[in-house]
Amino acid sequence: MTPPQVKRSGLLLSAGAQRRQRVACMLGRGFLFAVASVSAVAVLFIFVYIVRDAVPFFSWERLREFFTSTRWYPSGSPPEFGALAIIYGSAMVTVGAVVVAVPLGIAAAVCLSDVLPFGARQIVKPVIEILAAIPSVAYGFFALVVFAPLLQEHGGRVLAVMVWLLGLPLTALAVLVLSDMLARLLGRHGQKGPQGVFAAMLGCLFIGVLIWLSRRAAAMHIDSGTNALNVALILGIMALPTVVSVSEDALQAAGRELREGSYALGATRAETLLNVIVPAASGGISAAVILGFMRAIGETMVVWMASGNAAQLPQPLYNFFMPVRTLTATIAGDMGEADHVTGSARYHVLFVMALVLLLISFACNSVSEWIIWRRRKRLGV
Amino acid sequence: MQLHTRHVLDRAFTGLGYVATGVMAAALLVLLLPIFIKGAGAFVFRGTVEFRRFQFEHNGRGTRAALQRELALVSTARAPVYAMLDAAEQEIAAAPPARQRELKSALADLRDDMRVLLGPDPGQPAPVLLRGQYGQTRWDRARVKLHEVLFTETWDYSGPSGIGRKVYVPRSEEFEGLSVTSLFPYLEAHVTEMLRPHVTLYWRFLVDDSRDAHFFGGIMPEMLGTFYLTLGAILIAVPLGVLTAVYLTEYAREGMVVRFLRSCMSTLAGVPSIVFGLFGLAFFINTLQVSRSKSVLAGSLTLALLILPTVIRAAEEAIRAVPQAYREAALALGAGTWRTVYSVVLPAALPGILTGIVISMGRAAGETAPIIFTAAVSVGVPLKLWEVFSHPTPALSWNIYNLCTEHEAVDEIRHVQYGMVFVLVGLVLLLNLTAIVLRARIAKKLKA
Repeated sequence: MTPPQVKRSGLLLSAGAQRRQRVACMLGRGFLFAVASVSAVAVLFIFVYIVRDAVPFFSWERLREFFTSTRWYPSGSPPEFGALAIIYGSAMVTVGAVVVAVPLGIAAAVCLSDVLPFGARQIVKPVIEILAAIPSVAYGFFALVVFAPLLQEHGGRVLAVMVWLLGLPLTALAVLVLSDMLARLLGRHGQKGPQGVFAAMLGCLFIGVLIWLSRRAAAMHIDSGTNALNVALILGIMALPTVVSVSEDALQAAGRELREGSYALGATRAETLLNVIVPAASGGISAAVILGFMRAIGETMVVWMASGNAAQLPQPLYNFFMPVRTLTATIAGDMGEADHVTGSARYHVLFVMALVLLLISFACNSVSEWIIWRRRKRLGV
Repeated sequence: MQLHTRHVLDRAFTGLGYVATGVMAAALLVLLLPIFIKGAGAFVFRGTVEFRRFQFEHNGRGTRAALQRELALVSTARAPVYAMLDAAEQEIAAAPPARQRELKSALADLRDDMRVLLGPDPGQPAPVLLRGQYGQTRWDRARVKLHEVLFTETWDYSGPSGIGRKVYVPRSEEFEGLSVTSLFPYLEAHVTEMLRPHVTLYWRFLVDDSRDAHFFGGIMPEMLGTFYLTLGAILIAVPLGVLTAVYLTEYAREGMVVRFLRSCMSTLAGVPSIVFGLFGLAFFINTLQVSRSKSVLAGSLTLALLILPTVIRAAEEAIRAVPQAYREAALALGAGTWRTVYSVVLPAALPGILTGIVISMGRAAGETAPIIFTAAVSVGVPLKLWEVFSHPTPALSWNIYNLCTEHEAVDEIRHVQYGMVFVLVGLVLLLNLTAIVLRARIAKKLKA
């Protein structure tokens, strides 16, 4: 841009130069606005094009079949497009992933924002970043090549190890807390001896339960390593970084004053966090859960590679050891065959699935946006 | 509640947090360890004489004299084996006719398995397929193949559950009474001399073409494909993203329009990656027809949309972090808004923007779902630069999927799969490390 001509008589611009500059400014602003609206246009186009290719599938009977039947035979004659089992598969692995990711993620976020010393935090943060950065196909490769054979051949033992891994820390914590409570109930509080006895008794009891559980788990046999459990675990780990970082942000945003106020009233750190900070950050934490859910439901490669891709309802419905099939995997897997017959019902039904995914993620996104916006408004930022 | 109880509860709660963090770190370790250890096996392994023969005959690596010396040693070690096989043929011809057919087919099977292990029989015409022209190039695979020569696999259904159990029967049982049974102990004892494994560093795995569907060679086409796709996505997304961030931070006034734009961006960030792929197919290829079928260009455009929100967010944060005083100083010197932005604000925000770019590069390189329908093919040659507008390409992410699910011999090329995952994960980690270092330097500069 050329510097404007300065009139000899003063600092005022000539009328022409001023006009030129105003036009240039308007044009530049317009150009920038056009560039900025690319993402809006992209969202619009994504909706338009997915809907446009989904519409030819829309008819009352077809949609009813899509949502209520479990018979998925797109290449049969006549083809059948019952996607209930596939939708259920998606829901199943996503719920599984959320069950894995949310408790772990929130606990880790609390630890990260309030418990860990500064140095340790500097180590844990890159761990989360790396977990988030690893490509989904690498997770899928791990699930298929490393984890699935392990589950198939030593399924029982893997489950038993998981029982121990989860059970031991929880047992230790529970023994600690319960023995203390028991001692108080019996009026022997503060006395090391009786409390130790209670702790030992409780410990033996819990360890016994754990042994029984792990025995039962070890006796189990998993027919196929590529199943809903495998995928749910891996998806849970993939969703973990999202949950951790969003909820950590929310916990941080709750502010120092709240914490200090609570400490000043004599609350311990656990009480401060559980009764004050987590409720204050509950909006952000629920946004974190929603975002983790979105990450899991939209994931393609892991489920395509390691879920077994069987379009059937598991028997019984909560059986995580059965292979399942998800919406994303169906789109990825069937498009190769449907591509040759662009325009067929088989092609369009995949766009219907994409539309379902798109609507779910749009709804989740809106809700989490709204939650975050409401929090901001309340905090007056 | 008593004070002591509350303290215990507090400690328990802290413990829970530590456990969760520990589980996370353990998950990362469990995930990365096998990939790194086995992935390194694509680069450093015990290569047999067949590997060196392949490298000499196809890439001209190594010297003819050394190879021939080695081949001479190997063929003297192998000669007794072939002599025994020929002798077995004559013995079978003399065997009672009732057993003859069975023995003949057993011998043919044995010869086939030997060919897989050691390469074609001497004096035979070379097979058409490249994988038939060489024996096992890696010692770890050769051990597996040796086991297949020594034992046959059968299923035992006699157990009470009726579920089959794998049992290995020594193959010499099939040839009971023939002199060829002595082949098996001889083979087991002398296989090292027949294949001569040495520890080999094969760094050219990165830059060699793949031969015969990844049975031999490296991963150059995939590397190049990933490079083109990532570069294309960055070239498209970065100008768009940075300009958008400039508009949002420096020009736009907060209001309905900006709020709408922002919610569009977060919607875009939340769109599942497979939907991006479908959109790329329906829009860039079927509607705009940027290319007649899949192409690097279409893939890059799709990936660019995918990483756009990340770039915008990073650039916006970096620009907002530039102190307001910089802008005021520039304005006071008589610079207009645009001049302030490009001569003061953007240079100051550059490291932060670079961090965002590097992270989104990692994202673009690793994504698979968006390129399935828009850019990726399973087999291909390295593309020339001008072919990116019309040709599809193999890419690391897609070929990892492809090789470990759809390849004809998934188990034979595990090392290639692991090598690819290793390279891809290593690449992404390296990019992220760069970002972490960049960020640390910015933080230091801001503190100073």
